[in-house]
Amino acid sequence: MAYTPQYYPGSTTVGINRRKHMSGNLEKLRDIPEADVVAIMGHRAPGADYSSTHPPLKEMGEPDCPIRQIVTPTAGAAAGDRVRYSQWTDSMYFAPSIPYWRSYWGAINCKGCDPGTLSGRQIIEARERDIEAYTKKQYDSEMTDVALCSMRGCTVHGHSLRLEENGMQFDMLSRTEMGKDGNVYATKDQVGIPLDRKINLGKPMTEAEAKKRTTIFRVDGVPMCGKVGARKYDEAVDALHHMWELRSKWGYRPE
Amino acid sequence: MVTESDTASIEVEIVPNRFLMPATAQKLLNAIYENGGIIRIMIQGPNLPRNVPYGPGRGTPIEENRDLLIEVGGQAFELCVKVGRVRLELESEKYFDGLKAACERALPFSVHIKRGKFFHTRSTITDYAKFGKVEDTRVLGLIDPKAKKDRLAVLSEERVTIDDEER
Repeated sequence: MAYTPQYYPGSTTVGINRRKHMSGNLEKLRDIPEADVVAIMGHRAPGADYSSTHPPLKEMGEPDCPIRQIVTPTAGAAAGDRVRYSQWTDSMYFAPSIPYWRSYWGAINCKGCDPGTLSGRQIIEARERDIEAYTKKQYDSEMTDVALCSMRGCTVHGHSLRLEENGMQFDMLSRTEMGKDGNVYATKDQVGIPLDRKINLGKPMTEAEAKKRTTIFRVDGVPMCGKVGARKYDEAVDALHHMWELRSKWGYRPE
Repeated sequence: MVTESDTASIEVEIVPNRFLMPATAQKLLNAIYENGGIIRIMIQGPNLPRNVPYGPGRGTPIEENRDLLIEVGGQAFELCVKVGRVRLELESEKYFDGLKAACERALPFSVHIKRGKFFHTRSTITDYAKFGKVEDTRVLGLIDPKAKKDRLAVLSEERVTIDDEER
């Protein structure tokens, strides 16, 4: 029987969503054109050449190395692209993804990337054509709600702030806006430089849908212990206690 | 047991569940103003810079944050922050119920209204560094200690003064 990785314990909706994020088995909710994703990232103009940091691997004459023979390079590494980044800020008001789960998704599912997790934002670095593909996957999938998540290269705060009146995550640089038609539009790239046109990102999730898809345990949503008043805690807490116990004992008694 | 005086001034903090757009902020402040009894009032929230403050886009104008004019009690002034919290001192207890009703009337979502002590009464070192000896103690607690001296807005019964240079 083929082995199926068990990514995260628990039977709560948040536990199930966390497993989905880690496994990469995500629902696709929208299709934002690649050129638009490239424009929002702001590293190169759509259609422009990729800047490179070394010649393509085929031209370089690599040393005879067994690891290099086993591992197929990513498209970006093979072409010698520069390393670029995309950084996300997800609201704590039931955004579908949270920094750790974007990182788990990146580390498990994206080859040749370097995820970095911070308290209110999450960055992934990779070769340029790879990070563009990974960013598009994040934008298109249920990891992202266009109102509660946005790409922010700088001035990232918004994660732990109250939402705006229209349900958007607060952004000091106003990189996205809610249109009169109910769609969210990107008006600036991730560092706040205005785009030459507004990019339609689609409709945001309703509050109920965001709560259904979230990976955030919250006492006013799904608490980590599972159903309040239940005889037994959810498996997520049991597993956490187990890990804490082993780590503490290992830390205190290395024998 | 000490009975609280109902003629002493009270301090109130209003925290809406969402950040307010300028139009809603104007509606709320006017409702508070019409309720009367205000000794002093302060609005607080995240800064809305006029230009991108750092990063590769540094210095790029943010048009959305410019000219956020609101009119309160017949006086117009420019918002520098996203309104997220209003603190005020009322002349007496009798204005409190009216204030609660005014907030509920003006805001389409829930709001927390707390009574407490929100303004300090003695001049701090920061106050001294900014103003020297403070003559009018009503100004104490109205100012973000980290704000630059040229970014102060004081709303008074007589007039609204604002001195905000672009950064």
